[in-house]
Formats: sequence, C-alpha cells, structure tokens
Amino acid sequence: MVYTRKDVRDLSRTERRRFVNAVLDLKRSGEYDEFVRVHIDYYVSDGEDRLRLAHMAPTFLPWHRKFLLEFERALRRIDSSVTVPYWNWTRDRRPSAGVWNSDFMGGSGRRRDLQVMSGPFAYSEGRWRVRYSMTEDRFLARDLGRPRDPLSLPTKAQLDRVMREKTYDVAPWNSTSRSGFRNALEGWGPGRGDTRFLIHNRVHRWVGGLMLGGASVNDPIFWLHHSYVDLLWSRWQQRNPRAGYEPSSPPPPGDPQFRRVAARGEPMGPWGVEPERMLDHRRIYRYQ
Amino acid sequence: MMPSRRVLVRSLVALPAAFLAVRHSRHGAVPDKGSGTSLDFDEWYRGRRIQVVAGSGGVPQLLIDRRPLHLMRCADGGYVTPIDHYQSCPTPVSAARAAVDVLGSARLSRYAAAHGGGAEGGTHGVHA
Repeated sequence: MVYTRKDVRDLSRTERRRFVNAVLDLKRSGEYDEFVRVHIDYYVSDGEDRLRLAHMAPTFLPWHRKFLLEFERALRRIDSSVTVPYWNWTRDRRPSAGVWNSDFMGGSGRRRDLQVMSGPFAYSEGRWRVRYSMTEDRFLARDLGRPRDPLSLPTKAQLDRVMREKTYDVAPWNSTSRSGFRNALEGWGPGRGDTRFLIHNRVHRWVGGLMLGGASVNDPIFWLHHSYVDLLWSRWQQRNPRAGYEPSSPPPPGDPQFRRVAARGEPMGPWGVEPERMLDHRRIYRYQ
Repeated sequence: MMPSRRVLVRSLVALPAAFLAVRHSRHGAVPDKGSGTSLDFDEWYRGRRIQVVAGSGGVPQLLIDRRPLHLMRCADGGYVTPIDHYQSCPTPVSAARAAVDVLGSARLSRYAAAHGGGAEGGTHGVHA
C-alpha cells in the first residue's frame, strides 16, 4: 500500500500528535539513537582519501532516501498511520511558523546555551536526552535564524535555479562539482563563510545548534528537512526522466575519485543497497 | 591524487609567524613527550585552549581543552569540524576557533574525535 508524505502545514492536530509520539517511542527504545549514530559514522568529507556516501558525493540523495525510509519504517512499526512529513522551508520561513509550535517541533533555543525550552523535545520535558553527540551536553540546541548574525532560508527563486539543472551530477563528484543537480541541491557553493552554504546546507545553518554538526539527527527537524529535500529530488526526477543517476560506472584507477564514490550499481553502507535501487520510490510512498 | 600532507603542513606553517611566536612564548612550544607529538600551535581563545599538534604522519590534529576534535579536510582546500559542517575555514586553527564559537562552554565528547568511521566498514572504533 503506497502511503503519502504530507506538508507539515497540512497535518491535523491528531497527525502531529501521532508523529511526535512515534518519534518519542523510538527514542525511548534506543532505536532513534542508532539512526543518530549511523549518520555520525557516514559523514566523511571530500578532502579525505576515503569512500564517502552520505555527503559531498553523488549518493547524497539516494543515501538519505534510504535513511529516511528506514526511519519511517521504524516509526510505522509503532504507528502504521505515521509518515515523515516535509517542511517546505521556502514557504515556512520564520521561527514563528507552525512547524516550530510547542505541540510539534518546539521552538528555538534560549540565548544562554541555545537549549530548546519548549515542545516535546525540550530536555526539561524528560523524554529527549541526547545520547550521541559531539559535546557532553545532553539537551537539544537550536538557534533558529541565528539572531545575532541573521541569515535567511533559501528562497523559491534560488531553488528554482537548482531545479533547472539538467544533469544529475558531474565529476569530480564532490563539493566542488560546478554543475549538476546533486551538488546544487546539497548546496556547496564556491568561496568561504556563508556563501559556500546554500539550499540544503543553508537550512542546517539556519536551524543551528545540533543541526550544524555531526549529531544533526538528534534534532527531529532533520527528518522533515530531508523529507523536503527528497521531495525535490523526486520532482526533479519527474521533470528529467532521462537524466539517470551518475556516475553510471565507477571512476577507474587513476581517477582522483577512484574508490571514493559509489556508482549506480555499487552498494551503499550500512544497508548494502545500490543507488539504482533507490531511484523509484513510487511503489512505497508519494508526496502530497 | 589526494592533497599531500605537505599541503596540510604548509597551511599550518602559513600562520603568521609573529602570531605563532607570541603564542608559543606564552605557553611554550614544548614537545609533548608523553604522546610523542610536538605542539605546533597553542592559544587561549574565548576561554578555551586550542592546540594543534602533529598527529600521526604529520597530519594536524586539533585539541580543545586537550580533547581531540576531528579536523575534516574538504576538496576546496578548506576545513570543517564535526561541531560545524557548514562553516568552511581556511586553516586548521580557524576551524578550531569556529568550533569554539559554536561550543560556548560545552565540552567535547569522544565522538568529536573521529567521524565518518562507518563508510569503510570499520565503524565502531569511535564507539568502542
């Protein structure tokens, strides 16, 4: 049975509650933290001479599609009505948007230490203790919009430019690829500072706190963000039915990317699934 | 080919010499005989101690208050850390300072020391 992922705006109060409760259940069982750990394990940067799958690589999109599917499967074992909603950050652009309400994701962190104090994932509520993180802090931290040095979420116009890319990805298959949908959507621009961080990356930056680093999955907004990123890939696939996953064959010996990226038919850990098997999701879920 | 280690060392050496000298005179560039590495850089920044030491094979390693912080090289020549993937820094030291800017008073956990252990199957060094 094909299920539907909805815009967070369109969730009923009951749907919001059931999603939050399923996430809290997963946290209680310890399974949520295993997702956090997988993401920590798979963040390899592209200046290192190693295989990278989750970021700065063509597999950014199929890897996260699989990651979301596994998470969603775990949620649906708890409550089969639940799917992972998406946060359209080109429309819901403010910390006052409904997605940050205290019956759902909760709001920004307090000034002193960025600790989130509202909503079901606030440490003070007693149900969200961060286990795997880059620091010893155990609370969820956010800094929505970075008020001390404000930055904005990606705009519709910026996203439209990304959606006009015609090729999935190009060599050197990393954060310096000058064209291609994958790198444009992942959001690695040239330069330094904020200008290097666009689209997907910029959203991590805008949320701030734990979303900045290796432990970003500790913030449940991670899933809603990546659900929207996956929707964008899905729409791009529909518009470009002949633009398949690249690279279609592994970079050969002597290529700087030899053994550093996964080609269409090569397995992606930790699941062993190939990008080519992640391209068509329409038999499993659809976007509203 | 990978950017050579020499590139990394060069980016350390490229730190303003006078600045290094000041810092070294404050803390002393004393070889850390206990771990077999020598200190290349040592400063206090916003109340935190930042050190850059030559790790195995001369690859720079960051320490914040003596706890290791993984220095992640990027293909564009910049650096990021597990604290902040979305701030590209030109040198290891600037990456360490950027991490301190985000850390506030939080202490690093052991997971900050290494990152991305999973992709090659050897995951759980970090978690052992």
